[in-house]
Amino acid sequence: MTTASTLLSPELLARLEKMELVSRKIFRGRMKGERRSRRKGQSVEFADFRNYVPGDDLRFIDWNTYARLDRLFLKLFIEEEDLHFYALLDASASMDFGDPTKLQYAKQLAAALGFIGLVRGDRVKIETLGRPSRDVFRGRRSLWRMLGHIDEIQPDETVPLAEGVKNFCLRNSGKGIVVLITDLMDKSGYEPALRYLLAQQMDVYVVHVLSAEEIEPEMQGDLRLVDCEDADVAEITVSGALIKRYKETLTAFVESAREFCGRRGMSYLLARNEVPLDELITDYLARRGLVR
Amino acid sequence: MGLSLLNMLSWWQWAILAAVPPAIVALYFLKLKRRPLEVPSTYLWRRSIEDLHVNAIWQRLRRNLLLFLQLLLVLLVILALVRPGWRGEELTGNRFVFLLDNSASMQATDVEPSRLEDAKRRVGELIDQMDPGDSAMVISFADTARVEQGFTYDRHALHRAVDAIEPTARGTSLLDALKVASGLANPGRSAYEASDTQVAEAMPATLYIMSDGNFEHVTGFSLGNLSPIYVPIGQDDSPNVAILAFNVRGHETREGQLQAFARLENFGSQPVRATADLRLDDRLIDATEVAIPAGEVQGVVFDVGAIDSGVLKLEIRIDDRLKVDNSAWVAVNPPRQANVLLVTPGNEPLQFGLSTELAAKLAKVTVESPGFLKKKQYTTDTDGGAYDLVIYDRCRPEKMPQANTLWIGVVPPLEDWSAGKKVDVPTIMDTDPAHPLMQWIVMDNVLVFEGTPLTVPPGGTTLIDTNAGAMLAIAPREGFEDAVLGFLLVEQVGADTFTRTNWPIRPSFPMFVLNVLNYLGGGPEVLAQGSVRPGQVVPLENASSEKAISVVTPGGESTSLAAYRPGKFSFKGTDELGVYEVQAGGKTVQRFAVNLFDPMESKLPPRKKFDVGPVEIEGRSGWEVVRREMWRGLLLMGLGVLCLEWYIYGRRVSF
Repeated sequence: MTTASTLLSPELLARLEKMELVSRKIFRGRMKGERRSRRKGQSVEFADFRNYVPGDDLRFIDWNTYARLDRLFLKLFIEEEDLHFYALLDASASMDFGDPTKLQYAKQLAAALGFIGLVRGDRVKIETLGRPSRDVFRGRRSLWRMLGHIDEIQPDETVPLAEGVKNFCLRNSGKGIVVLITDLMDKSGYEPALRYLLAQQMDVYVVHVLSAEEIEPEMQGDLRLVDCEDADVAEITVSGALIKRYKETLTAFVESAREFCGRRGMSYLLARNEVPLDELITDYLARRGLVR
Repeated sequence: MGLSLLNMLSWWQWAILAAVPPAIVALYFLKLKRRPLEVPSTYLWRRSIEDLHVNAIWQRLRRNLLLFLQLLLVLLVILALVRPGWRGEELTGNRFVFLLDNSASMQATDVEPSRLEDAKRRVGELIDQMDPGDSAMVISFADTARVEQGFTYDRHALHRAVDAIEPTARGTSLLDALKVASGLANPGRSAYEASDTQVAEAMPATLYIMSDGNFEHVTGFSLGNLSPIYVPIGQDDSPNVAILAFNVRGHETREGQLQAFARLENFGSQPVRATADLRLDDRLIDATEVAIPAGEVQGVVFDVGAIDSGVLKLEIRIDDRLKVDNSAWVAVNPPRQANVLLVTPGNEPLQFGLSTELAAKLAKVTVESPGFLKKKQYTTDTDGGAYDLVIYDRCRPEKMPQANTLWIGVVPPLEDWSAGKKVDVPTIMDTDPAHPLMQWIVMDNVLVFEGTPLTVPPGGTTLIDTNAGAMLAIAPREGFEDAVLGFLLVEQVGADTFTRTNWPIRPSFPMFVLNVLNYLGGGPEVLAQGSVRPGQVVPLENASSEKAISVVTPGGESTSLAAYRPGKFSFKGTDELGVYEVQAGGKTVQRFAVNLFDPMESKLPPRKKFDVGPVEIEGRSGWEVVRREMWRGLLLMGLGVLCLEWYIYGRRVSF
């Protein structure tokens, strides 16, 4: 219970229960689920008719039509399938900043989305960039297992963003929804990583998590900034103009990421760690169409 | 051209100053200690300051640019403190003698404000350039030299001495100044006599001569250890018109009237027209316009009329570069008769000669018999200077009178004078027509029956020479002159009087008597006293045997003079041009004029070179010792650096 309550509050769980993950594409799941599929199959929802050919299941012949037209037609139903939902977390050291830390925020978000998926019978997989996981969660009963799995994630990975995404793509070749939760702070650039995801033809969501300190830095004096990941040093003397310039750079960075994603059919969402999670999900993500 | 520095600080101030740059460096590194701060990523920060990394060298420099600027600022301030300056001429050596010409020509205004001021400025600049440990002396010279400041290390004293130098109206003589200057450079010997042995260590000195070079070449002087540098002061083209002579004489034709003669010379290169004003006691009595071609002399004559006494002033009105030679004065004194005492047992030709009309004008003659010599009256009168001339005919006093004397047939009671044996009919061989006593006198037709050849004292002059020896001689004695005639004019034998020469019946005899009255009786001074040159010592006589007289200068200053002998005075303070009044008992008894009348001084273009002994000293033309101070510029540059530093600091903060 402790893990669940730190990641997801009961109130949030109650709200999430009514939601479902939305995929803009219709995917083929491996198991029968609650998703409409393009495949015609066994569900209650009628889809079409077609001529009978020998060998067809006689149970689906529309006898009423046969009586009227004296020809055999077969009723086709829309098949409902399960959805593959992937939450891919960046667990690098840079995520261990902020209050709550960006990683904590990312974990909460992954747990919430995973919960929605579990409730709807989707196939949920939570992974980090540096640590492949074989655990697949399905069904409401897997909630605690999933939360435990999420809780174990530590900000100690050093895998570059592109490499981590590449490995993820190699492991998970199926289609589905992937939500990449990261701060995109990779000195070699985030674009290769996103291109890998794009090649998967997945429904990609990029949640860009930034802490309030990164968006509104409050520092003074002559500073030697040390990068927590590669110990790179940048010497600055803080001034209003420098802060202004930093914000401009940040805005440009965010906008370029947003544009990069938008042009390629990916959804981009900037998440500040100070925005409450339920607000993020019910408001921002719902608006982006990830949940409904 | 060379850079010169002046040390303005003491060693401990230097030490503090030297500690400033290391302190700045230390403070700078302290300041650079940045507070480390761990951030998620320096990615965005790096991109924010990315443009600063474009040029790595510039970046490295920029990091320390403020330090460099601060160091530069301190460096500039230190440089400013040592007062760097460019100067035109190096001071050579470490002992200097500054000779400043303050003669009349140095009052010329062809260089602003005057030549003397220019010379003083130059010397002042040279003094400023002296290094610590350099010593210098300051000598001003005109016709004589004056040590204004002996050798000293004290620059302030030197400046004071230079500032105190005043212009004079005197002529110029370098020799005197050189002798003074060489005293230390060539010790123990008179530098002008090469044979003198040297006894002390020579101290070589550099001799700076600030002059216009208007003096005679110096001969008979060896510079020895003095290294001369002659700085000619003045401009070559300096127009000047000068009065070179001004005098008053009796009118050639009109009895009792006076004429004033002046000689004007144009020293410039252009012909000029000048107006000459003649004033009598400050009242304009005549004026004339004179045209003087370039480099020529023009005479001017004024009819003054009959005046007894007064001051005539001639002034030329013209815009030239030297003013002191544009005025001249002459003092016309009231006529004064010479007092002559003739002591004789009876001498008819001589008494007749003394009683001519002309002689009576010149002198008042008192005749006494030899018995008078024993009287107290005689002693009082002769000791008190009551007589200008005493004539002893065949008689001899016990001691010499305070007067000029003429001795006939006897020699003065002095060791130097002696008479030889009597010679019969000495033949006159030669006379000295240059001497005033023998002017206009022809002795060819004079026979002397008997005479005693004279032994002339040292310094004496033989005026009439015969085959037997000197028959008339004159010798100086303590400001007086004694003339001795070796033959008798008349001789008393018993009751008869015999003539011993035919001279009295020749025309030369009364002329001789007049010459005696004129020359020995002080006659020439009677009418218009000759002009006195500035700085010249003027002998003054006052027969009324006053103990003290006073002289009033043209400026109105009164100087009391004490008699160095009864009735005899000498006045030295003739520096000012104009008319001096001699006063005795509250009354003006005599006047004399001091005039420049010196073509050397009036000729303004400075001499390019002159000789001192065998050495030719060439002027350093265009020599200028202007010291261009740089400290103001350095401080301004420092201010600029400070502003730049502020700007860069501001920029840096806003990166």
